[in-house]
Amino acid sequence: MGVTGLDHLAGLESEIPDAPPAELVVSPQSVDDVALVLRHASEANRNVQVLGGGTHSGFGSPPPADIVMSVDRLTRVQTWEPEDLTMVVDAGARVSDIEAMLAEENQTAVLPEMPGASTIGGTIAAGVSSLRRGRLFGTRERVLEVTVVTGDGRVVRSGGRVVKNVTGYDIHRLHVGAFGSLGVVVSVCLKLWPTPPAAATVAVADLGQAKSAVRPLAVLEDRTGLRVFVWGTDTEVAAKAERLGGEVSQGHDWPADPQGRFRWSLRVPPATTSEAVARIPQSWPFLAIHGVGELRLGSEDLTGAADLRTWAESNGGHLVLTDRPADFDEFDPWGAPPPGLEIQRTLIAEFDPKRVINPGRLPGGL
Amino acid sequence: MNLVADLRAVLGDENVLDEPVELHVYSKDASLMRGEANVVVFPKTVDEVSEIVRLAEKHRMPIVARGAGTGLAAGASPTEGGIVVSTTAMNDIDIDPENQTAWVGAGVINLDLTKAATPFGLHFAPDPSSQSACTIGGNVANNSGGPHCLAEGSTTSHVLGLEVVLAGGEVVTLGGLAPDTPGLDLKGVIVGSEGTLGIVTRALVRLLPIEPDVRTLLMDFPDMEGAARTVSQVIAAGLVPAALELMDQRMTQAVENWLKAGLPTDAAAVLLAEVVGETEGVESQAQLIADIGRSNRAKKVQIAADAAERDLLWKGRKSAFGAIAQLAPDYYLHDAVVPRTKLVETMKAVYEIADKYDLTMLNVFHAGDGNLHPLIAFDASDPEVNDKVHRAGDEIVSLCLRNGGALSGEHGIGIEKRDLMRTSFTELDLDAQARLKEVFDPNGVFNPNKILPEGSRCFDFGGIRRDIPEGAWV
Repeated sequence: MGVTGLDHLAGLESEIPDAPPAELVVSPQSVDDVALVLRHASEANRNVQVLGGGTHSGFGSPPPADIVMSVDRLTRVQTWEPEDLTMVVDAGARVSDIEAMLAEENQTAVLPEMPGASTIGGTIAAGVSSLRRGRLFGTRERVLEVTVVTGDGRVVRSGGRVVKNVTGYDIHRLHVGAFGSLGVVVSVCLKLWPTPPAAATVAVADLGQAKSAVRPLAVLEDRTGLRVFVWGTDTEVAAKAERLGGEVSQGHDWPADPQGRFRWSLRVPPATTSEAVARIPQSWPFLAIHGVGELRLGSEDLTGAADLRTWAESNGGHLVLTDRPADFDEFDPWGAPPPGLEIQRTLIAEFDPKRVINPGRLPGGL
Repeated sequence: MNLVADLRAVLGDENVLDEPVELHVYSKDASLMRGEANVVVFPKTVDEVSEIVRLAEKHRMPIVARGAGTGLAAGASPTEGGIVVSTTAMNDIDIDPENQTAWVGAGVINLDLTKAATPFGLHFAPDPSSQSACTIGGNVANNSGGPHCLAEGSTTSHVLGLEVVLAGGEVVTLGGLAPDTPGLDLKGVIVGSEGTLGIVTRALVRLLPIEPDVRTLLMDFPDMEGAARTVSQVIAAGLVPAALELMDQRMTQAVENWLKAGLPTDAAAVLLAEVVGETEGVESQAQLIADIGRSNRAKKVQIAADAAERDLLWKGRKSAFGAIAQLAPDYYLHDAVVPRTKLVETMKAVYEIADKYDLTMLNVFHAGDGNLHPLIAFDASDPEVNDKVHRAGDEIVSLCLRNGGALSGEHGIGIEKRDLMRTSFTELDLDAQARLKEVFDPNGVFNPNKILPEGSRCFDFGGIRRDIPEGAWV
């Protein structure tokens, strides 16, 4: 292998075409392998960038990777109990594969609709959510149990495999959006949701018109206009569509996330979503989730970004840089540091004492 | 100065209780486990709570936060003594109809929040059976559920932000109106932590629109299997009703003996289902549920015609625990979860356990999410019966775990199930939870010795595990 201190990892090397440059690229085949990699990384003081589908690799300001650990061989669906609304799946399983499988039994895990190559592990680590989150809540509410391997190689589980559970501390919720800082997610139990038989998308003229729908799945706005997404029984969906009174198309044609050299997540109080839309620079594509306050943006440059962040933060929100050109580091990706930073730091030290897993991804220099 | 004098100086004499009779009242919650408070305080502001925490640390006294004391797992029983902090004087409600949220004081009663939100067309979804008494602070501490959390999730899904007093008296506001606060979601781990990580003084909660229409169905079945199968098939049909509640025959008979709610007492199981939404939706969903019920041999399907009939159908369910008093002076209400597919076999085994110990057991539970509430009616003054009740309880919990379930669905761990935590988690899992507790509460003042069994913090690898011989505890 020839990499000082990492000789123990011989046999785990891998050739992943899209992996970022690193001393070593590994593809563990088991949880024990993941633990082995992390223990030796801790011992040799090497950072480990965890690679899923590579779709959420743009967050934060990570240092160059020493070891890239791909989860592409951990893709097993361990259990799926449609009647119990639960599925246990390994971290490397692709979101698109999970949802396609669930759709066969008219179920969904309410994960992002246009996931690309992203994995369930990456989706949890980055804390990204479905466009349906206004009705069915975000990824954090879908996660019932998480098993991780900590930076010092402990396998730790939190939560349980039932849809309702208050046993012990909800550490599994902490893993959502933690970028692996409390351990590399290796498997997860998801809370599933039944998909009713009918669905429709209704184009509407304005938010007033959209409000005639009672708790729709989503009200989305982009540069082409506003659309309301509904589902239910046949009669229910027909009635909802008629009441909304716009152009109706059957089914759900979910929009993709806006693209650009830079990509952003604007998070604001739900009632200020329209104001946020008005403040987005004209040249930026966007996708706004009304009723939630989440807006996904793309841009070719930074013009207007600082003003947008100032406005968002003055309203209790955030403008987060979610992707950027590889060599770019001129704009703080997170903005104002979150509260409770010292507790976060101490907590991370308990789970990743040498801070080897995905350092630099989180805000506040964590 | 002594602790009580220090507290009086901060809070005023009238907000500090230390007479033995007063202390006795606050020495337990609704569980069967009693502690002994040194002093009870009623802060009005977060700054006062912050001062209390500083004084507790200075005097090395535990702090036990308490809402209405309706908890069933002894989470609010001061079993290690110390300061009981009653949150009842922190009861402001500030509704934000535009964002469909509210900032509410920890001491606000659950039902009062929904009442305050009603004029805005909104309500707070978590609705534990104790909702007319329990507080939002208690709901947050226990991650409380209720019949309607099948469709909407437990309390944690409805908490967007928290104002918390941490160790050292530090006050932080975590989360907020904007989604996905960057960094670790500390708020999410404080919910359900039973007052062991800090003291929640205010919560920012999500309010949901009141649905325009509702249909409530009551179906009676000749066997438990038919009722349970109906529940599974309803979900398989793509529906998530707002509630799916099951009562067994022993419970319907007890309720009907006490108040005439019109429950069919000759049926083995009664299923209460409720769907909400627009009229067309609830009509078609109710018909679908009724058809599924009939195909599983439901004898009678009642659909409430109006609000009065709906209230009557619910009255039987909500009065269930009140009906116990006619059977025995005490009851022990259990709370465990099994996967829905294991409902029928678990129920059979639960009855066998009760019969084995010759105990009176009744069942009313949240069938949709597999959350069982076996209730044992007994006389606690008889020590022999007491012992049987506890042994039966342990067997029921073990049974649920063997069937792939969880220790608690909504009541919490507290003291009641603390020593059973080892049956659910490995040493490493518990060690991780103990580390979390230590990070938040390095001095061990917040509700000590709750949730985690003694000796949970066993492992300390100093970074590298292989330095430690396998199986060794440090």
